[in-house]
Amino acid sequence: MIARVPGIREALAGRRIAVCVGSGGVGKTTVAAALALARAREGGRALVCTIDPARRLASAMGLSSLGNVETEIPRGRLESAGAAATAGGHLFAMMLDVKRTWDDLIARHAPDPARRERILQNRLYQQMSAALAGSQEYMAMEKLYELATDRDYDLIVLDTPPTAHALDFLEAPDRILDFLGNDTARTLLAPAIGAGRFGFRLAQLGSGYLAKGLARFTGQQALADLGEFLHGFQGMYEGFKARAASVRALLAGPEVGFVLVASPTPPSLDEVLAFHRRLVAEGMPVAGVVVNRLTPALWTGPAPLPAAGELAAPLRAAGIDARALAALPERLAASLAEHEAMAAAEERAIARLLAEVPGPRSLVPRLDGEVHDLAGLARLAARL
Amino acid sequence: MTPATLLDRRLLFVIGKGGTGKSTVTAALALLAARAGKRVLVCEVNAAQDRIAPLLGAAAPSTLSRDGAEPARRAPETTRLRPGLHAVNVHPREAMREYGLMVLKFRAVYQAVFDNRLVRYFLRAVPSLAELVVLGKILHEVRVADHGGRPRWDLVLVDAPATGHAVELLRVPAALLDTVPSGPLRHDARWMHELLTDPVRTAVAMVTLPEELPVAEVLELDAQLRDVLHLSRAALFVNATPRSRFSQGEATRLLALGDTAPPLGPAVRAATIEARRGADALVHLRHLRAGLDLPTTVLPLLPSAPWGPAEVERLAGVIADGGVQVPT
Repeated sequence: MIARVPGIREALAGRRIAVCVGSGGVGKTTVAAALALARAREGGRALVCTIDPARRLASAMGLSSLGNVETEIPRGRLESAGAAATAGGHLFAMMLDVKRTWDDLIARHAPDPARRERILQNRLYQQMSAALAGSQEYMAMEKLYELATDRDYDLIVLDTPPTAHALDFLEAPDRILDFLGNDTARTLLAPAIGAGRFGFRLAQLGSGYLAKGLARFTGQQALADLGEFLHGFQGMYEGFKARAASVRALLAGPEVGFVLVASPTPPSLDEVLAFHRRLVAEGMPVAGVVVNRLTPALWTGPAPLPAAGELAAPLRAAGIDARALAALPERLAASLAEHEAMAAAEERAIARLLAEVPGPRSLVPRLDGEVHDLAGLARLAARL
Repeated sequence: MTPATLLDRRLLFVIGKGGTGKSTVTAALALLAARAGKRVLVCEVNAAQDRIAPLLGAAAPSTLSRDGAEPARRAPETTRLRPGLHAVNVHPREAMREYGLMVLKFRAVYQAVFDNRLVRYFLRAVPSLAELVVLGKILHEVRVADHGGRPRWDLVLVDAPATGHAVELLRVPAALLDTVPSGPLRHDARWMHELLTDPVRTAVAMVTLPEELPVAEVLELDAQLRDVLHLSRAALFVNATPRSRFSQGEATRLLALGDTAPPLGPAVRAATIEARRGADALVHLRHLRAGLDLPTTVLPLLPSAPWGPAEVERLAGVIADGGVQVPT
């Protein structure tokens, strides 16, 4: 007797935050949206937050713009898509605006408006939100924290940016804080910072080939921008650090569940396995696994698969003249064989994942047509 | 466009959304180029795990440690995969080191400067420097000569990161030209920009799937390449295209038989799924062709994963034949 393994929605039932992780192209965004939709249909207030240059969720939700604004999907739209929410149920969506989240964070921590403006106008700062590795991930977590503490959603689903490496997401805040609060840099920059000067000159960095070597790469302007930025940032670091620690504590808490989303292809499954190991090592709560777009096996009888000859008689019995349709039994047999080969290959590929990650799981067959509207999301949600 | 024309470039970026089979298409193109007698270098960009080597039948050193995905630190060595075919995985940190040595000329100076914690910090703080050195390493390979003075590589093929990151990478030289006043950074940004935007030497091959979202994304990518990055778009590969053995009429007639007992029922259900996927793919292909006027190669959906050298061989063969035929 095999114990029943709960699905991902069941695993999230007692939790307030779901974080969907996985490589790109696995349907992470649609899974995230479907999880939020499912909670709304059950009568909860649910929000899905995504980072989405292709505006995929926006189109799925029938919205034209989602930039950092929580927008409710009108209940009428849900109803007409056959996905009506029960009483009290509301579905919200938003798209993370990385730059705006940074600006809000600076505004929150700046001691006065002058300081805030000085940082916001700094050239390095203006490029940083887009250019600094991990910036998106950091801001996604920051926004999640804000939503989790300031709002009263029953469920917030975060769709994470596609990462090149599994560890980018969890490490992002530390890496960026290390950059913002680098002690060595601050010590060396102290003369410029202490003097309160806006202009920062390379000469103040020290002399000799160290400074010259640096300038050969960056030019003086970049260093000046950095000096000015760090100057403006002075005194705010502790606030940032405390906030990042809170974000991390929130993510490790029992009300959070990480959802590992994969497609049944080896690269995607490897990525999710690496992510899982990382989450476990960091003590982060894993809710379970979603393997998306599976090819379900159709042949449940004993091997071998039927040969063309075995299909001719039942076709005739069904009133189809196999002789009139060129090689129909052969094509049918080939189609089934190909389908089953695909299903078997996928089953082998996911077996390793399921062995290592034994918890709740949802194995979602590739749905008829693609999921790009609310009706599609509702069908997906039913399989989670 | 025949593959030969495409592969006559010196530098070819293969770009597409994650999961479209970019690496497989890159490997197949590399195989074709090497067979045509070219000396080929395939560059992967900051990949956690080599993908090209296993696709071409060479063992890939695993860079994943047991407890997570910490990429092991290693030298940016080019590995010979087959005669005339080499691969390298370009990591920012290693590329930075090479770049530093190149600019500073002397190892002792490099070590004094680069092994300084503060300097490493500053280099990280300069926006886009990591992208610049990665791109610089790749573009440098196009320019290096062997002892006889001819280029070391006839073709440098880049298995680019997923679309968004690839666009960021390719935008760096132009962005630096806009912001950096002078110095070696600007100098490097200039020759890199010139090489990237030279349609004789450099081109982009885009990879997509005949599905709604990948099609939308590749149309966006095309517009960006054309209007913002000014790179030459040379080819489009539509990968993993499902084709149906059944006509629409047959599929309609068969539909009613899906609930029949085995063996016919399951076979009919497989057939209807096949027919529907084939029809969906055609809709997206038409959409793609209407929005994108590029030489297009349609590649078949290959049945089983994981993909290896056999699948790459097969795709290379299909590409050499101009792709599979689909109704327009």
